[in-house]
Amino acid sequence: MQQYQPKQILIERGEENAPVVLRVLERLPHVPVRIVDKDWERDAPIDQTSDTFAAGKQSLFFTRNRSRFLEHCPAGTPGLVCCNYLVVSLISNCPMDCSYCFLQEYLANNPLLKVYTNVDDLLGEVAAAVDRQPWKQFRIGTGELSDSLALDPLLGFSADIIPFFAKRKNVLLELKTKSDCIDGLLRLDSHNRNERTVVSWTITPAEISDTEEHGTASFAERIEAARRVQEAGYRIGFHLDPLIEYPDWEAGYRETIDRLFSAIDPHRVAWISLGSLRLTPTLRATVRRRFPRTRLLSGEQVRCADGKWRTFQPLRVKMYRTISTWLRQAAPTAPLYMCMETAPVWEKVFGQAPSCDKEVAHSLTAPTLGAARQSTLPATPSVAS
Amino acid sequence: MSVSSGSLASYAQQKRLSAQTLARWQAWGEADQHALLRLAQELQLGENHLRDFVDWLEEIVLRDGESIAAVLDQREIQRPLATKQSRNDKLKVVKDAVRKLRYPYIARLEEELRESVKALNLGRRVHITFPPAFEGDEVTFGIKVRNVKDLADSLSRLQQRIDDQSLQHLFDLLDEA
Repeated sequence: MQQYQPKQILIERGEENAPVVLRVLERLPHVPVRIVDKDWERDAPIDQTSDTFAAGKQSLFFTRNRSRFLEHCPAGTPGLVCCNYLVVSLISNCPMDCSYCFLQEYLANNPLLKVYTNVDDLLGEVAAAVDRQPWKQFRIGTGELSDSLALDPLLGFSADIIPFFAKRKNVLLELKTKSDCIDGLLRLDSHNRNERTVVSWTITPAEISDTEEHGTASFAERIEAARRVQEAGYRIGFHLDPLIEYPDWEAGYRETIDRLFSAIDPHRVAWISLGSLRLTPTLRATVRRRFPRTRLLSGEQVRCADGKWRTFQPLRVKMYRTISTWLRQAAPTAPLYMCMETAPVWEKVFGQAPSCDKEVAHSLTAPTLGAARQSTLPATPSVAS
Repeated sequence: MSVSSGSLASYAQQKRLSAQTLARWQAWGEADQHALLRLAQELQLGENHLRDFVDWLEEIVLRDGESIAAVLDQREIQRPLATKQSRNDKLKVVKDAVRKLRYPYIARLEEELRESVKALNLGRRVHITFPPAFEGDEVTFGIKVRNVKDLADSLSRLQQRIDDQSLQHLFDLLDEA
C-alpha cells in the first residue's frame, strides 16, 4: 500500500509544538507548512468547480477538537438493531477514497483531512466515562470518520492510545482499517498487545477492493497484516460491510472467506459483522458523479424506510444467509452481527432478533476469548446458543 | 462537436434538459448517443424519464459489459416502438422492458407474486398489498364488502388457501430471492 503524502501541512496557530505535529514535521520534512488562524477555513475560498472532497484529502490540517470526542455511533438509527458502539475521532476524513464511503456526503462541506492535536482530552473524556461505570463494558472505535491506521506511520496515534486501553478491564478499543499499517502496533511492548485492543479489517472480495476501494491495501496485504497482528497478541475482527451484490458475488465471497481463514486462527476472532451496502440519495448522486465507472450502483437496490438505498430485501437476506453460513463453518466461535438492519431481517437471517441492543453489545464485549468460547449471538439459521 | 452531439444539444434545448443529464448523455460513444436519441425522439422523453433511462442504461452496461446501443436494440424494446400504440402506452412498455433488464431479480419476483396472487383466486373483493420495495415482511390483506355474506365468502376462500398452503407460497417468495 502506498503511503499517504499530503501536498501541504496546515497547523493552527498555537498547535505548532503538539507532539503529533512535531512527529509529522520530522517525518515529512519536504512538505510545505503553513500556520493558519483558528477560523481560517471559514474565510477560505471554496472552489466549487473541482472535486473538493478529493482536494480536501491533499491537505493535512492540525487543529484542536473543541467539541466532544466520545459519541454514540451514528449507525444507531431508530427502527434498526443497534450494537451500542461508541466512537471517538482523532482524525476527520480519510486518505483512502472508497467509492461507497459515506464521508463523501458527511464531510462534503468540511473535507479537509483534519488531525486533532488534543489526544489527552480524548483520553480524559474516555476515562471519565468508563472509569465512572466499572461494571459496564464499553466498545469504542476510532474508525468512524477515518481509517484507524492508514495514517499511523505518520501520526503514531496507536502508541498514544493503545496503552491507555490496555490497562482498563471494562473497555475494548477497536481500530478499524483497510490498511496494512501495523508496524506501530507491533512495536508496542508485549503487555500492551493484549485483548483490550481489537484490530479489525474491512473485507471485500479482491475484485471489489481492487476497483472500489481506492488507495487501500490489497486483500492479500490486509490478510497478511491481520495474521501478523493476531500473532502479536491482539484480537482481530472483520467487517464484511458493505456487502456488495454483483453478478459473481457468491463465488467472490466464498473465495474471500476461504482465503481469509486459511491464514487466520478462527478461534481468536473477536467478532465479524455483516452489513449491506447502504447509500442515501445524495450519496448515490455523489458516487455516480465521482466514480462514473463504479459497478456499485448496478445492484438491485431499492429505497428503504430510512431513506437509504439497499439491495432489495429478499436478495439481501439470501446474501446474509449464504455468507453467514460460510462464516459459521469457517469461524464457529466468532460472534456474528449485522450493522444497520431491522429486527425482521435479523429474524430471517439468524432466526431471532436480539431482545434489546444490550444483548448485541454484551455478546461482543464478553471478557474471555478462545477455542472454548461460544458465540452468544444467534447462530445461523437458528437462535442463540 | 459531432453531429450526434449537435442533435443531442438541440433535443436537450427543446426539452429543457438539465446540463448534468445532457453532459452524461454526451459522454457516451456516438452509437450509444444516437440509440437513445432515437428512442427519446420517438417517446418524447422529458428530463425525468430520460434521466431514468440514462441511469438504468449506464448501470446495465457497467454490470453486463454490453453497449447501450446493443441494449436498446433488443427485441423487447424495439418491438413496441414499431406498433401503433399511443406515445404513453409505448413509453410504459419500453420503460418496463428496460427496468426489467436493469432489475431482473425484482422484476422476476414481481411477476411470480402476480402469478401467485392470480392463482389464489380469492375473488375481486380481496386485495393483497406487498411491502413497498419488498422491504419488511408484512403483507396487507384488504377485504371490501357490502354485506356479511360477501365477507363470509371472502374469509372462507382465504381459509381454504391457508389450509391448502397456497398462501404460504406468497410469503416464501418474499423470504429470499
